[in-house]
Parts: sequence; C-alpha cells; structure tokens
Amino acid sequence: MTDAPGEGPALELVGLVKEFRGRRVVHGLSLAVPRGCLYGLVGPNGAGKTTTLSMATGLLRPTAGTARVLGHDVWADPLAAKAVMGVAPDGLRLFEQLGGRELLHYVADLRRMPQDVSRPRAEELLTVLDLAVDADTVVADYSAGMVKKISLAAALIHAPRLLVLDEPFEAVDPVSGQAIRTILRRYVATGGTVVMSSHVMELVEGLCDRVAVVAGGRVLAEDTVAALTATGSLHQRFLELVGAGDVSEDGLTWLGG
Amino acid sequence: MTLLIVRLRLRMWRTALSRSSVQLVSAIIGGLVALGAVGLLGPSIALLAARPLALTAVTVPLFAGVTLLWLVLSLVATGVDNVLDPTRFTVLPLRAPELARGLLAATLTGIPAVVLTLLALAQVLAWSSHTAAVPAALAAAVLGPLTAVLLTRAVTSALAGVMTSRTGRLLGAAVVALATLLPLVLNLLVTSGEPGLSLRSLDARGAAVVASWTPVGWAWGLPFDVATGRWASAVVHLALALGLLAVLWRVWVRQLERVLTSPMTSGGGQHIGRGRLLPRLLGHSPTAAVAARRVRAWYRDSRLVSIALRTAVLPVFFVVQAAVTGTGALAGTGVVTLAVFAGLTLMNDLAFDGPAWWMHVSTGVRGWEDRLGRVVASAVVFGPVVALTFVVSVGIGAIEAVLAWLAVVVAAFGASLGLAAGVGAVLPGTAPRTGGNPFAASSGGAAQGCLTALVSFVGPVVLVLPVVVGAVLSRGSALLGAVVVVVSVLYGAGLLAAGVVLGGRHLDRTAPEMLGRLGQVQV
Repeated sequence: MTDAPGEGPALELVGLVKEFRGRRVVHGLSLAVPRGCLYGLVGPNGAGKTTTLSMATGLLRPTAGTARVLGHDVWADPLAAKAVMGVAPDGLRLFEQLGGRELLHYVADLRRMPQDVSRPRAEELLTVLDLAVDADTVVADYSAGMVKKISLAAALIHAPRLLVLDEPFEAVDPVSGQAIRTILRRYVATGGTVVMSSHVMELVEGLCDRVAVVAGGRVLAEDTVAALTATGSLHQRFLELVGAGDVSEDGLTWLGG
Repeated sequence: MTLLIVRLRLRMWRTALSRSSVQLVSAIIGGLVALGAVGLLGPSIALLAARPLALTAVTVPLFAGVTLLWLVLSLVATGVDNVLDPTRFTVLPLRAPELARGLLAATLTGIPAVVLTLLALAQVLAWSSHTAAVPAALAAAVLGPLTAVLLTRAVTSALAGVMTSRTGRLLGAAVVALATLLPLVLNLLVTSGEPGLSLRSLDARGAAVVASWTPVGWAWGLPFDVATGRWASAVVHLALALGLLAVLWRVWVRQLERVLTSPMTSGGGQHIGRGRLLPRLLGHSPTAAVAARRVRAWYRDSRLVSIALRTAVLPVFFVVQAAVTGTGALAGTGVVTLAVFAGLTLMNDLAFDGPAWWMHVSTGVRGWEDRLGRVVASAVVFGPVVALTFVVSVGIGAIEAVLAWLAVVVAAFGASLGLAAGVGAVLPGTAPRTGGNPFAASSGGAAQGCLTALVSFVGPVVLVLPVVVGAVLSRGSALLGAVVVVVSVLYGAGLLAAGVVLGGRHLDRTAPEMLGRLGQVQV
C-alpha cells in the first residue's frame, strides 16, 4: 500500500444507483480505491460489476450518486477524469476495420498525444503483448484473447494514473496472462492504480491487494486480500458471503444417465 | 418448427416494441404507410376489372416491376428482415430446409409481404371479368409473392456469402450498384419511348407480353395468357415460374447450409497496408483521426463499399439520360441529387460504429470533433465525385447555366452534410452488423428509418430552396450569378458549421445515452 497521505483515493464511488426501466440493479454502492493499489471487484454473474465500472468510467450515466477519479468528478467534469483514466470494458466491440497498430495510433490521436511519444509506445505495447506479428491484421480477425490484449494496450498507451479493466484475463492464454500480470504489478509499483473485475477467485487472490465482494448491486465485504482470506481461501469466503445455492444431490439425475 | 419460428419472430417483435417508444411510434407509422398503400392501391388495381383487357393487362408489367423492385430495394436499402439471423440457429440440431421453411413463413407473415399479398389479391379481382383467368390470377397471387420473397433471400444470402472476401466485396458491390441502376434504366427506356401516354389510350398488352417473359413476370403473366387464350404460353409460364421457385429454394437452402456449418466471418487474416497517405493529408488531431478512420472504412467495410459505389454510379445515369434526351435540367438535378445523397450517407454513420463508439466516449473526444471528422471523411470520399460529375456534365454541354447550378450543388452538399451531422447525432439510424449479412435490416430499424427518411427527403429540399430561388432570379446576369455562388458557398458552410456544432453539443450532453442506443442499432 503506497497510499500517499493528504491525497484522496484514486477512485471514489459514493452512493451509486442505477435503475433500468424502474428495476434497480445497483443499490447505493460506495467504494474507495486507494492510490497505488491493485483492486479486485468480484461477484457472481449479474452482480452489477460491469454496470458499476461503466458508471465509474463515464460510459453509463448513474441514476444517482457520484464517481470521482483522482479528485475529478466523472459526471461533472468528464474530460478531466477521462484524461487520467484508461478503460478496457468487457464485451464492447472495438473499431474492427482498423489493424491493431492503427487502433493504438487512433486512440493516441484521439487523446491528443504527440506522435513521437505515441508511436514508439504503440510498438512497445504490441511487442510486450505478443501482438507484433498481427499488428497489420484488422481487429475483426483477432481471436477473443487478442482482442482483450489490444484493448488493454489501448487503455495503457496514454500512461493513465488509473486503469479500469473489466475481466482483463478472460480468454487470454497463460503466457499472455503472465505478461499482463507483470505489467499490472509493475504499473502499481510505480504508483498507478488498477481496478479490475473478475469472477476467478484464485486469480484475484494471487494478484490483488484489496478486494470488494459485490452481489445484487451492493458491496458485501471490502478489505485487503490478507484480511479476507485469514480464515480460508477467497473462494470459500466468496461462497459464504454470496450464499452458494447448493445443487441438490439428487437433481439432474437424467444427465449422464 | 415452422410455427415455432413464426411465433419466435412475433415475440421478438413485441419485445422490441414494448422496450422502446421510438420503435413503437415508428412501427405505427410503418403500419399506417402499409395500410395506406393497400387502401389506395388495392381498390385502384381491383377496379381494373371494369376496364378493357388492354388496360387490365397492366397488372403484368406492374407486378413484375414490383417483384424486381422488391429485390432491388432489399439490395440497396438493406431490407432483408434479419430479426431471425440464421447464424443464431447454428447450435441447434436443425436441418437447413426446416429452418428455411420457418424463416420463409416468418417473412411471409411480416408487414411488407402481407401488403404485397393483399395487392396480389386485388390483382385477382382485377381479372374477375375474365372468368377463365381467375384461377390463373389466384395462382399468380400465390407464386408471385413467393417468388419476390425467395428471390430476395436467395440473391442476398448468396451475395453475402461472396462478400466475405475482399474481391468478393467488390464483386458484390458492383452487382448492387448495377441493381440500383436497373429501375433507372427501365425508366430511361420508358421515357425514351412515346411521351404523353394517357390512361384512356393505353394499350398495356405489348408491355404485358414483354414483362411476362422476364423471370420476375413468369408468374404474373398467367392470368393475361389465359384471358387472351394463349394456353400454350400459360403452360410454359407456369412451368418456368415453378422451376424458378425450385431453383431459388435450392440456392437459399444451400446458402443456409453453409451459414449453419460455418458461421459467416471474414476470410481471416486480412492484412492491411500501413496507410501513410491519409495521416499526411489530414494530420493527427482527433478530428483528423476520426476522418482517416471513416475514409478507410469506406473501402474496407463491405457494408459501406456498396453504398459508396452505388452513390458514385448514380450520377452517371443522370448525365447519360440528360445527354440522350437533351434536357439540361436533368443533368443538373442529377448532380444535385448526388450531392444530397453523398451528404446524407453521413446520417447513420454512428450506427456503423455501433457499440465500438465507446472508444470516443472514454477518450473524451469532443462532440464537434466526432462530427467534423465524419464530415471531412464524407467530403474526401464524395467531394471529388461530385466535382467530377459536375465538370463532366458542363464539359459535354449537359449543364448550361453553370453558375446557377454550381451554386445549388455547393449549397446542397453543404446543407445535406450539415443536416446529416446534426440529425445523425440525435437519430443514430441502423446498420447491418459488422461481419454479418450486409443486407440485413430489422423491421423496427426499417421503421425508424422511415422517420430518418422523412427528414432526409424534406430537409435538403427546404434547406436548398432559397438558393434555387436565388439562382433562378439571377439568371442572365453573370455578376448576380457570381454573387449567388459566393452567397451559397457561405450558406452551405454556415449550415455545415451549424450541423457540426449543434450535433456536437448534443453528443457532448448525451454521449452515454447515445452509447446505450448504439448497442442496439446493428442487426
């Protein structure tokens, strides 16, 4: 924890509420992610992880509540907040008619980066993430894992102070997964902050500093990984908190019969 | 299975309507348009029964034309009902013919097909004064709409299959562009014949014979054959119509089999050049980046290639027709139409981006930069085409009042670009899914398109009208003409700026909401 004194949290969510057609999916969710922290957001399917991250990154307007990124209110001053934040959502497509390299250049140009900075960075990111060979292939022809990696590269290229990643390891092979872990740990060690969602407990337990367990649009528990796993693995704690719906022993007997 | 698919379609339709008021309103508008078409055209067709055979025969070329138009519209206006995308059925143990039967039934119960069938039944009434022809007309009313629907399905699915590779894309785009020109060429043939046709003296029998020997007219020619006692050709037509249906069915089922076993993706490993020219031309600002991406899309994206080619080919026809008939106004109107169409292609630009537009939202691109970048791209792609068409038209002498037409063309291009940049920021329109069937359109999308189409037709006319008035008034005076040109340049630029600024502001205010809508615009 390198939480500098006198500075606010990297990401602060206060009383976030989201309703879709009158159905409330996020219920007054509040979180504070300290700076220099690799923060995991875990929860079952439909817990509201993606919705929460979308509201925190300016992609989805909250029904109520505020989101602050390094002191900038995401919804009152979106441009300042977006300038210091890198985002890699899950399940949203990229501009698929562009090649991988073109996509990185495109994002850099949109962020008004000077070329002599952005072009070498793009090459380095492509090499580190093992995409150099396919840099001139259109993203439409990328595999799911390659799409994950190129979106991570696009989120990193402007060296943001906060990185928000939705399921960054999904569909990524073990070799690239290791590269991404190394990148994220190094990034955090130099003072950056990462917020990532996942539903793979082992991954979060091994990688993150702090964890929030979210279910039904509420925070059920929030602590350091060490504190949460004092009495057992994160996996067990998660099942206790969320309440595992047991598949009864005599159910689905026709399966495999 | 067939019933199940029809029910699935109705349920998806109902859900779509209950989830969006825009969809509901536009579906109601679409329904009213359909009712109007049946209510107005139906009785007029049925009343042909009271007319002599020479006039009743008009149903043959009329319905053959409608069948052809059905195909052309589905190619150019991307009108294949794709609510039930066949690729979604790939994991189910379904055989292609089963699926084809279900999809066919679902299409036939859709509003457009019902309208066509009702009109075909009006055609049966039209032949009711010739008792022997009634069963033949009934057969035509069954075979005709089936031919229209199957023809569309077979051709679009075959083309979509071809267009997954780069050369295929160009081939498909060329076919589509030619298909667009088909009705225009027919129009040229008709108008180059004797002008001043009156309904009283009209003898449609010649046209009926010709139309009945085209594939789209084989079915519709049956009642005419019987009524004129040409039994032999009736038999031949029936055989040809049935044979055509069988062939189309085979083609479509084959394509479905292909889709079911290998879901449609692009050829794989599509490599691209480094593309250094565009950045050099445009620079590296966010606006330039957006412009460069959209220019690239115009030749990389199979969904856009055909639109581009079609828009570019359109004026050739107008100019040719003007040269043939010697009417200068036609060539001028052609160039103006091209300018308007080219500008309006921007209207559903956001829909082509779809949810990928989140990259603009998360990088904090200003709304005006998004708008202006797209305007620049359209100007780069279509500006030279408009200019070239104009210069050629002037060169071959098809346009004489050069300054007046120049003023109108410039104002029209600026106004339609501005209109599209502004309206497109509010109504994103719809687009086929990336990598999906480039001819797809959801029924809801088509209806929302009605609203956009209304804006597209009325908007440019209203906006360009002042310049037209000015151009007409200034005729004969070179000085006044030059003044009108300057004013219209300023006027077009002003409208363009207004569209970019207003559309940009709206996007700045509602970017997240727009992003939410863009999740549903691709079908």
